[in-house]
Amino acid sequence: MNILGISAHYHDSAAALVVDGVPICAVQEERLSRHKGDAAFPLLAIEWCLQNARIEPDDLDAVVFYERPMLKFDRVLTCALRAFPQSWRAFPKAMKNLLGEKVWMRGIISSQLGVPGRKVLFTEHHQAHAAAAFLTAPTRRAAIMTADAVGEWATLSVGDGERGSNGTTKIRRFREIRFPHSLGMLYSTFTAYLGFKVNEDEYKVMGLAAYGKPTMVEQVRKLICRTPDGAFALDLSYFEFHTTAKRSYSPRFAELFGPPRNPYEPIDLDTAEGQRFADCAASVQRVLEDTLVELARTLHQETGLADLCFGGGVALNGVANARLLAESGFERIFVPPAPGDAGCAMGAALYCDRIHFGNPDRDLPDHPFWGPSVDGSELARIAQEDGHHVETLRDSALIEQTADDLAANRIVGWMEGALEFGPRALGHRSILTAPRTTEMRDRLNREIKYREPFRPFAPVVPTDVAGRYFDIPRGGTRLARFMSGVFPVRPEWKSQLQAITHVDGTARVQVLDPAMAPRLHALLEAYGQRTGIPVLLNTSFNLAGEPIVNRAVEGYSTFLRSKIDVLVAGGTRVTKRSSAVGSTEAERIREEVA
Amino acid sequence: MDSPRPHERPTAFDRMLTPVHRWIWSDTNRRVQKLLRFGETETDGGRDILRAAEVTSDPLLRRLYLEHAIDEFRHGILFRHRAAELLRVSRSHSNIGFQGDWLAPGGHGLDDLQVDGESDQTMLAFLHLSEKAAASRFCIYRDVMQHDPPTRAIFEEILHDETFHMNYTLTQLARVEPQQHKRHLWRARLSRLWKAYLRLATSLAAILGSILLTIQYFVLLPPFAWMAKRAAHRESAGWTAVSPTSSDSLNRQY
Ligand SMILES: [Fe+2]
Ligand SMILES: [Fe+2]
Ligand SMILES: [Fe+2]
Repeated sequence: MNILGISAHYHDSAAALVVDGVPICAVQEERLSRHKGDAAFPLLAIEWCLQNARIEPDDLDAVVFYERPMLKFDRVLTCALRAFPQSWRAFPKAMKNLLGEKVWMRGIISSQLGVPGRKVLFTEHHQAHAAAAFLTAPTRRAAIMTADAVGEWATLSVGDGERGSNGTTKIRRFREIRFPHSLGMLYSTFTAYLGFKVNEDEYKVMGLAAYGKPTMVEQVRKLICRTPDGAFALDLSYFEFHTTAKRSYSPRFAELFGPPRNPYEPIDLDTAEGQRFADCAASVQRVLEDTLVELARTLHQETGLADLCFGGGVALNGVANARLLAESGFERIFVPPAPGDAGCAMGAALYCDRIHFGNPDRDLPDHPFWGPSVDGSELARIAQEDGHHVETLRDSALIEQTADDLAANRIVGWMEGALEFGPRALGHRSILTAPRTTEMRDRLNREIKYREPFRPFAPVVPTDVAGRYFDIPRGGTRLARFMSGVFPVRPEWKSQLQAITHVDGTARVQVLDPAMAPRLHALLEAYGQRTGIPVLLNTSFNLAGEPIVNRAVEGYSTFLRSKIDVLVAGGTRVTKRSSAVGSTEAERIREEVA
Repeated sequence: MDSPRPHERPTAFDRMLTPVHRWIWSDTNRRVQKLLRFGETETDGGRDILRAAEVTSDPLLRRLYLEHAIDEFRHGILFRHRAAELLRVSRSHSNIGFQGDWLAPGGHGLDDLQVDGESDQTMLAFLHLSEKAAASRFCIYRDVMQHDPPTRAIFEEILHDETFHMNYTLTQLARVEPQQHKRHLWRARLSRLWKAYLRLATSLAAILGSILLTIQYFVLLPPFAWMAKRAAHRESAGWTAVSPTSSDSLNRQY
């Protein structure tokens, strides 16, 4: 049975294909279209999935969209009505936006793919989040919590899931919190207030929080209060996201927290103003964590289960995840590699397979590598044409050579196998460097990632030795598998792991099982043999504002535009031709024409 | 018109609009907003051209496109930095209303050209035309910027690059298509015109749509708004129970 899952139109469109109960491939549209956060209908992703699996649209048994369009329309319309007459500006925009395309998903999918309308199905948004979190996790029974900005109406839901011994699967949602009361929206409002991009830069708020003190928790608690039944509600007089698309916070919010940050000015943490922004970030982070912990604790008491599957965009907050693990009572927390809306494509397809069609339960591969594979020979060809140094090496030689490069403080662009599904580079499209010095961190920030100096970098370490360098609690290894938790760096190693130790002494560590990415694992060991510490800095292979690279040629163009020293794709290793070797024809033309 | 080595020279149309441009650029707020917008279009243009570098099979074009893309990214940064500087000096945060975008458009953009799957000839023809148009406008902008030497210097610097872009795209077009490059240029020119018309038509339609919807909003919605507000008052915050049957059918869209 072939089921295609689609998520689109909010952020990060994606497609995923499930064949006979097992994911075959999945990819975000942005990785193919090369537009970061591409929210368009994911035609390229769908085409690639079908081609890759050699399936014609006719062979699809179902195409599942990750939310119910009419229910979403209902929410948008209702909110416009409730905000009458303030919503008069937002109303025409919202209606044109929805009525233009988004409401007619059955027709659009059916005409774009040429499948009959009856094969087009819909899950609820949070159902898809729940399925993505639970059905991909190696657990048979777990509590499930999902939290994001908003789906149709729900913004947070709790429930449980069970994979029975007879092959049946159950996913139940007990209850949900509805728009406009939303943890995701609360966090996004601060993201906007702090001058970052909403739906994209939330992790910057988390990074900035480490520099501040939660001195404004009381003010934040004015914005979000607990309801008697244990849920929460936002005080809407501080917000405007529900009435206008223009601004997410109200003048009252700015009165409470002071003037918002000008996005075009860098944050200077040495000034009182910069510190205020860091304190704001720390305060909202604290309140987010506290709220999640309390909700999860109740859920733990209610279900008595040891495992929690956590999905939705809020589950990208690694600091909160670590606190959930420490304080909620759950022993293990499973966050999928793509907990956000992109992952809903896979969640919707799996939900449809297990619940709608009632197909038997299957154990699923436990990795994030569902995208297109990289072709080292493509890199070799183009780099040779451009006159760069190209070597094609056997695996072992390549790993030894790359370990030498890293030990010599070279920055390595590392591409292998299938692209990651989800926002994190987990070792198949990564920039790797030595983790030792702050100089390396600054060099990366300045010369490659062009990003704010307060942003931390993540380390990758083999599972069996992770505990030596990082203080990972029981159950934390699971969170760290897909870089979903932030844990302390052991004090005795901090001085040798400066580039990946955040200002508060933590790191968003990835622990690597050899089975998940054998070559990267071998590289870590080879690097460890040379330096004594098998830990590497692992950051996503992209430049600021661009999606993570997919094909070799994209890695190559990124390599040429930045100060990455070595590029590896498959078995091909490339270093830059030194500029002293005479000018290329392109440079000659430039001089001549200009 | 398509001499082998054209240099930056404003078109008659752009020259005619000089007083308008002078007015648009005279106000600091407006200048800031326009520079920010230009920063975005240059960066977007850079992305498109980078994509062209990634998809072309012609090694020389790949190198030229790459350099071109790097230039555009740099232009984006120059514009953004200048805008930030002006912002700091003027301390203005305000979002001013009229920016005259259609009167004083920015740099590049390939007119929604899908870079993937376009031939080198089409790409080069489009690029040449849009670089030429940008060079013409930037020339005017530089000339009306006497009162702001740093911004003027930026336009000067960028103009130099645009001239290179405009020239290499033409010479490369002549190289890859020695016989028919003029025809490609004409085709690109027509296509740009058609797209400009489409843009105009869709924005007109959008304005009309907005007007109609706004009228409906005030005429039809008030009673429903009243009911929705009443319903909202009755709604209690907190948990909403999810009934087990609410979501069992995947056929439903609501
Ligand atoms: Fe979501
Ligand atoms: Fe430019
Ligand atoms: Fe240009």
